[in-house]
Amino acid sequence: MLTRQISLSAPIFLFIFLVQEAVVNQFKLPGGGFSLFVIFALVWAVISTPEIAALTGFGAGILMDMSQSAGGPVGQWTLIMIIICYGVSYLSYGDGNINGNPVGVVFFVVIANLSTGLLFLASSALLGVTTGGFGQILLTLLGNSLWTLALTPIVLPAFSFLHNFVFETRSVL
Amino acid sequence: MRYGGEGRTRLLLIILIVTALFLITLDLRGVAVLDGARQGTQTVLSPFQKAGNFILTPVKNFVSDVTHLGRTRNQIEKLRADNAKLKADLLNRKNADAQLKQLKSVLDLAGTAGYKVVNTRVISQGSSQSFSQTVTIDSGSNAGIKKNMTVLSQSGIAGVVKDVYPTTALVMLATDPSFKIGVRIAGTQQIGILSGRGSRSGSLQLLDNLTTVKVGDVLLARGSVANRPFVPGVPVGYVTAVDNSAGEIAQSGTVRYYTNFGGLGVLAVVVAASSTNPGDALVPPKPVPTPIPTVTVYVTPSPSPTK
Repeated sequence: MLTRQISLSAPIFLFIFLVQEAVVNQFKLPGGGFSLFVIFALVWAVISTPEIAALTGFGAGILMDMSQSAGGPVGQWTLIMIIICYGVSYLSYGDGNINGNPVGVVFFVVIANLSTGLLFLASSALLGVTTGGFGQILLTLLGNSLWTLALTPIVLPAFSFLHNFVFETRSVL
Repeated sequence: MRYGGEGRTRLLLIILIVTALFLITLDLRGVAVLDGARQGTQTVLSPFQKAGNFILTPVKNFVSDVTHLGRTRNQIEKLRADNAKLKADLLNRKNADAQLKQLKSVLDLAGTAGYKVVNTRVISQGSSQSFSQTVTIDSGSNAGIKKNMTVLSQSGIAGVVKDVYPTTALVMLATDPSFKIGVRIAGTQQIGILSGRGSRSGSLQLLDNLTTVKVGDVLLARGSVANRPFVPGVPVGYVTAVDNSAGEIAQSGTVRYYTNFGGLGVLAVVVAASSTNPGDALVPPKPVPTPIPTVTVYVTPSPSPTK
């Protein structure tokens, strides 16, 4: 069962990562743009068990660390994504009002995306990675959150469908 | 809070976090395996990025046109007057012409200073998720590019090579918050340090308290030991504001970069500097104001008729 889930999840994650690197990163969008891959990983985590969410965070974080536009050392994004993915799943798992409700999922993904940025800033300060001025950081955080808020409802049905396909659950958001 | 938090999940979480911390430690200690993994990923990704850049260029042009609609209204009005075939031809050639123009300007700049350059195209913008400002170019170590080489745009400094892969390289833009460059005020030997701020403006900090700077002063790269990371004489920007606070030891100011980082298409990596310092030879000419034609009308009163 687990082998099937991993063998199906891995190509999906690799494909979304490829789309992020080859397509989304081509555009210089206002407000810093968005990360489709982060949104995907967070949606996946919100509607999964904490155990799967932690593994999702690990896999997604490793891929993000392998991206050449990752600012910090290898492992920084891995650590952040493990914590955030596990955290959102821990808080939402089993609560039908959150992970059974599209509005709840979108809300959690936006909050988690913002938390990802804040955790990146905090860990960057510890690791000595320069992150820029206050105004620029604020603009990027705000821009990313707004993009995530706008985009998540659009991509949620597709991501939810993929999740249900892999885990063979019945409810589709 | 609803999940029971079984022992197995907690153990898994601890193992994953320890693994992540282990990776961070290894990377900070400079273990080559992790660099190799990143290089391998980039080698795999670069063909997709190049393909994505090729396919999405018309879309990017369209988005750019929409974004600059207000500024290019006159041009759009003029284009509307053209017939459909001409418009289609123009759209197809627009990207090539823009890149050719940028390339010509870059070559002019490099040629004046005697730099040996490798011309490259930007194939990907860096993700803003990491709060950094980077672009990926389509040439790497196979073309002779090495880490810490100066990168030029058509107008001046664009950034510095941060990481090199066989067929691509990552360029840290001059707007990146961690970017710092030693600069010299053109026409003098007064020096300072310019830092990126995440936008097209940078922060200038002069090093000498006897030095004065004024709005409009042009800044050039001061150059580094063995010309890496910066070759001397490259135009950087011009001063737009000066901070004369009484408490400051030396003057500071705000600088606007010559490079338009929003429209980077073609860049040049300086692989070898000239043997002589170009001095102020690369200072861009000041814009010449267009004279406004004046018409003087002399009116001579005609003699009034006498009866």
